[in-house]
Amino acid sequence: MNPRLAISLVLLFVLAALRAAPAAAEPYLAVQTGYKCNVCHFNPTGGALRTEFGITYAKVLLPAETIDNSLISNWTGKIVDGLRVGGDLREDWTRDSAPNTMTTQSFQLEQFRLYGDLNLIPNRLDIYIDEQVAPNGSQNEEAYVLYGSTTGFYIKGGQFYLPFGWRLQDQSAFVQELSGISMATPDKGVEIGYERPSWSAQFDLTNGVGNGTSGHGYQVTSQVAYVQPIWRLGVAGSYTQTLVGDRRVGGIFAGLKTGPVAWLAEADAVRDDSFPDGRTLAAGLLEADWLIRRGHNLKITTEWYDPDRSVAQDQQTRYSMLYEYTPIPFLQLRAGYRYYRGIPQSNAQNQRLVLAELHGYF
Amino acid sequence: MPRYRTLLAASAAILVVAACAGNGEGLDANGRPVAPGSVTVPLSADFAAIQANIFTPICSVCHVGGSAPEGLRLDEANSYNLLVGVPSTEVPSLLRVKPGDPANSYIIQKLQGHAAVGAQMPLGGPYLSSDTIAFIQQWITNGAPPEAAAAVAAPLAVTSIVPDGTEPLNQPPPQIMIAFNHDLDATQIDVRSAHIDKLGDTAQSAAAVIPARLAVASANLKALMIWPMGPLGAGRYRVVVDASMPGFADTTGQSIAIGTPNELGESVISTFEVTAADAAVAEAKDPQ
Repeated sequence: MNPRLAISLVLLFVLAALRAAPAAAEPYLAVQTGYKCNVCHFNPTGGALRTEFGITYAKVLLPAETIDNSLISNWTGKIVDGLRVGGDLREDWTRDSAPNTMTTQSFQLEQFRLYGDLNLIPNRLDIYIDEQVAPNGSQNEEAYVLYGSTTGFYIKGGQFYLPFGWRLQDQSAFVQELSGISMATPDKGVEIGYERPSWSAQFDLTNGVGNGTSGHGYQVTSQVAYVQPIWRLGVAGSYTQTLVGDRRVGGIFAGLKTGPVAWLAEADAVRDDSFPDGRTLAAGLLEADWLIRRGHNLKITTEWYDPDRSVAQDQQTRYSMLYEYTPIPFLQLRAGYRYYRGIPQSNAQNQRLVLAELHGYF
Repeated sequence: MPRYRTLLAASAAILVVAACAGNGEGLDANGRPVAPGSVTVPLSADFAAIQANIFTPICSVCHVGGSAPEGLRLDEANSYNLLVGVPSTEVPSLLRVKPGDPANSYIIQKLQGHAAVGAQMPLGGPYLSSDTIAFIQQWITNGAPPEAAAAVAAPLAVTSIVPDGTEPLNQPPPQIMIAFNHDLDATQIDVRSAHIDKLGDTAQSAAAVIPARLAVASANLKALMIWPMGPLGAGRYRVVVDASMPGFADTTGQSIAIGTPNELGESVISTFEVTAADAAVAEAKDPQ
């Protein structure tokens, strides 16, 4: 075995042993491995900058083939002591068709994002940034100062993603659109977090995504998750006060590993008084990720959405089948089909989407 | 074969959960109960459909009348002319709708919740799904064409003036819009064509001309926009067209004179009032 690869593997298992529950780049990987999000990501609730363990996992265990290359073997995300960087670039091709609508297809640079963490005092003080470089020019997603440790107690202030349920890569998932909390909607405020080997808890006080910096309203969000090697369970809640009406969101999410299949489930409900008559909305997600063999994952997802519980026959569903192939470290190819079903009089609710994605990361 | 049994179980569970989309009985294209006698237009990448399904039922709940945020009225009469080719007031370097370029259109960034353009719309949610936004993106990609014109054969006429003076404004309008039913000949319009006056406290007081610039966006030749150079303070204003000018002409040479000229040869086409409190807030934000 190549010495560098051997060292990487040893490092991987040492790091894994030191962590109570190690992890992944997408939530299904966390469920498959039994790890918590903060094992592979700097963010305790997942996503963006990867930890040293996350990088090692990405180059040794995730791809179908490891590469004997000094640059890859030596890459850990660390530039100098205390400074880590990372990034993701996603190029998409989509073909979108809907009844009574011209079919379209296009390539899109979905995102090119760079991350950085400056650890000024070990386990005490970090300054973190997540910047979208393209498309649409530079745009800040996250920028905050964090006091404490992401493996213990911490408090952070600035702009950041809120914790709520599974942090899915698919920002258009019904559960993410229902809650209004995703990696497309960072908010400004403070977060207090507490990480234990089997527990993860966050409490956030922010402006409210919809309130922006209008000077009116606020949002309180909280999440608690209990993590075990083959299952986990979490609850999340959010209350937003706005000028046009209050919004309450509650959710429960769970993960379970059965052999090669990782299951993710989430159910959310919203009481939204910003509608003139007030509405109760609900959405659910069930996802199965079948690890066919190393580097090959088949993702099947079904989703359900009820935009108004008081109205009959208005529910929508969405089915997705996506194949994810990770041939080599830091490169993933994804291709799939998404089928929407909704009320027949709505073209938008009956779309068909073919998609392919080239994803590079480091 | 435990692997395949697991997959089979997964597929069965997924089908059980998924088989419950609504049949839409008794609902309009937005999934709302149909009011007796109403006509539904399915959402598509067409301006009329977007207006009927998004702007009118969702956006114009707030973006209507004298209190429309940023002066952006999204009712059927005004939304197209206040969107297409018009710079946003929040990020003036971005057009609200830039034909052919959805990624650089303010409305798309606003609906998607990009942090750089402030609060996501609709304010406080619920937000539009990415599928719904995709229809607006496609309309913009198609060049953001207006609704199929039914009035081409009609003579050139003013279709709307914003603000129209029917109600007091609780915030200064960032722009004054005079909309027409034909494309205007922009070469016939200059800074003397129209202006905004601030009226004095008494009828005898002289009116003060407010510095402003006039523009007809190349992306939408149906609307003349008048942009005050700074926020309008509290007070009463009038929009005046110079009747001594040749008048407004469309691209076929057809012209009209707007309003009835007074003894000074000016036609007052709109008066409106900006209330004190919110004007002060706007002036504090932009001391210019």
